[in-house]
Amino acid sequence: MFFETAKLAWRAISRNLLRSFLTVLGVVIGVAAVIAMVTVGNGTTAKVQAELSRLGTNTLFLRPGQWGPGRASTEAKRFNDKDVLAIQDQVTGLRAVAPLNRGTATVIAGGANHSSSVIGTTNDYLIAQDWDLALGRKFLSNEDRGSQAACIIGETVRKELFGSANPVGQNIRVSNVSCPVIGVLAVKGQSGLGDDQDDTVIMPLKLHQRRIGGTTTIGSIILSAQDGVATSKVQSDVESLLRERRRIAIGRPDDFSVNDMSQIAAAMTGTTVLLTGLLGAVAAVSLLVGGIGIMNIMLVSVTERTREIGIRLAIGALERQVLTQFLVEAVMLSIFGGVTGIVTGLALAFGVVSLLDVPFVASPTIILLAFAFSAAIGMVFGYFPARRAAQLNPIEALRHE
Amino acid sequence: MTSPLIEFQQVSKFYGHGEATIRALDRIDLTIHSGEFVSIMGPSGSGKSTAMNIIGGLDLPSSGEYVFQGIPTSVFDRAQLTLLRRHMLGFVFQGFNLLARTSAVENVELPLVYRGMDHKERRRRALIALEQVGLKGREGHTTQELSGGQQQRVAIARAIVTDPAVLLADEPTGNLDTRTSVEIMDLITRLNRENGITVIMVTHEEDIAAYGKRLLRFVDGHLASDQTQAKEPDHVL
Ligand SMILES: Nc1ncnc2c1ncn2[C@@H]1O[C@H](COP(=O)(O)OP(=O)(O)O)[C@@H](O)[C@H]1O
Ligand SMILES: [Mg+2]
Repeated sequence: MFFETAKLAWRAISRNLLRSFLTVLGVVIGVAAVIAMVTVGNGTTAKVQAELSRLGTNTLFLRPGQWGPGRASTEAKRFNDKDVLAIQDQVTGLRAVAPLNRGTATVIAGGANHSSSVIGTTNDYLIAQDWDLALGRKFLSNEDRGSQAACIIGETVRKELFGSANPVGQNIRVSNVSCPVIGVLAVKGQSGLGDDQDDTVIMPLKLHQRRIGGTTTIGSIILSAQDGVATSKVQSDVESLLRERRRIAIGRPDDFSVNDMSQIAAAMTGTTVLLTGLLGAVAAVSLLVGGIGIMNIMLVSVTERTREIGIRLAIGALERQVLTQFLVEAVMLSIFGGVTGIVTGLALAFGVVSLLDVPFVASPTIILLAFAFSAAIGMVFGYFPARRAAQLNPIEALRHE
Repeated sequence: MTSPLIEFQQVSKFYGHGEATIRALDRIDLTIHSGEFVSIMGPSGSGKSTAMNIIGGLDLPSSGEYVFQGIPTSVFDRAQLTLLRRHMLGFVFQGFNLLARTSAVENVELPLVYRGMDHKERRRRALIALEQVGLKGREGHTTQELSGGQQQRVAIARAIVTDPAVLLADEPTGNLDTRTSVEIMDLITRLNRENGITVIMVTHEEDIAAYGKRLLRFVDGHLASDQTQAKEPDHVL
């Protein structure tokens, strides 16, 4: 019996294939949008996570304020030199402790100028980031103390300012600070978030504080644990040390945060999920419109086939059987739209993903969900027309022209 | 004698209300027994189709009682009326009313589909019914590919495939030429005689009505006459 009904429904749909397709276009677009967005989103997330984990699972980030997606930390007290020293002295199992101040500045050399990210830190930053030098050397201790200016530049800055020439020993001006180039960083490429990591200038923290930031404080600290040391232990040691130093009463929350890469990755993925949810809502609206389209065409179909319905009712079809027939037809129609949408969405995602150089991560969950959702749309929006068909008066239906 | 197959007790049917009320049927009393062949005649608008619809369970009397096999149908709900149609009655409509773009055999199978019969058995019975109405070899033709007479035969096959107790035919030869009409009437007569199916048939033509053993004449919603016809037409047999 079900097979019969399905066969009948398929006949009715295929009889008007073009119309059926146009009817479900809304569903196709809605489903395709969801599938494409989620698939591209998944790919991006996967790439971000891969990039972040490549930075090292033994790296911890120490920042003022409670940190989460979209949460600013401007009000919380920043760190200072003594915090760094205390961590170095009192926390065991650390390979590198790198204070970090960031800014953006225009970098000038000869006639060329270029806007770039400028980092104030110590040699430990290069250790924590596993970042080698392509040319030149690291900072000397007198440079670290700030008595002598020195800059290490990234590959992008080198290219912009010096072309193919060797910049080591040349002078650059970073926001009115004259600074000899002492080294060039090895090429690192794009970060997981898509920005160019080689577009950077690194200078000693002291110099950065005095001449770029105009401050004596520190924005964040990167910690790198020695191999075999659990980051969770380092994390809790640093936390209790800083609570003590910042005089946070027992029971009060931290006014800083220590996160490892997996936590940061989770937070970033959270942002992506939020975005996906938002776009999902947009898709839901187009699915609603698609559903109304199906309802509309099913009502038309019921009117067109009034006589057929009359015949069926007159020769012994129960209301329920006619209802089922039209419901199955509506569901089949919307599933037809759903499947077309899934295929289109995956194809679309595949195209976008190859352009963005992001992995193609199709999610079976979302595909199943889209399928179930499109079936549900047919069910919901097909019910009203189907009921109308089932409740027709057979005599009047038979007289209908 | 056993209880009658069909009984009208003061059956009336009204359409509209107030001044404009139409009495399509006005207090009709009527009894039809199993195995009868009843012809119904009457001017247009006299209530023939209304009576057929009520007998067929497609419509309900406004007042009075329609009793089928001793059961008053006023106790039936819509689904039970459907089951009555499904199991007891076969319809041959005036305009054939076959499904378009559907093959003859599938049209004939349709009532069996709603009975939930499996595909093989359905097909077997439909083919037998088509053979009975002389359409062997035309099973696969769609409605559009058949002539008027052939379509009417398909409609009859569809009506009898369920082995109904009653065959209801509203002007079964209305759209057919004389020769085809005679063939169709021979077929219906044979179903009545050989299969014992009770036949109730509306017609406008005296010589078609003459196939019945009993003739009812409707005028203005009343039963004007009810005669048993002794003579049978010569060309039968
Ligand atoms: N659905 C309806 N609504 C209003 N009047 C109707 C309806 N059906 C039939 N009638 C009226 O009832 C009367 C009997 O109709 P009908 O039984 O179809 O006559 P016949 O079949 O003898 O030509 C006619 O006057 C017709 O106009
Ligand atoms: Mg009539």
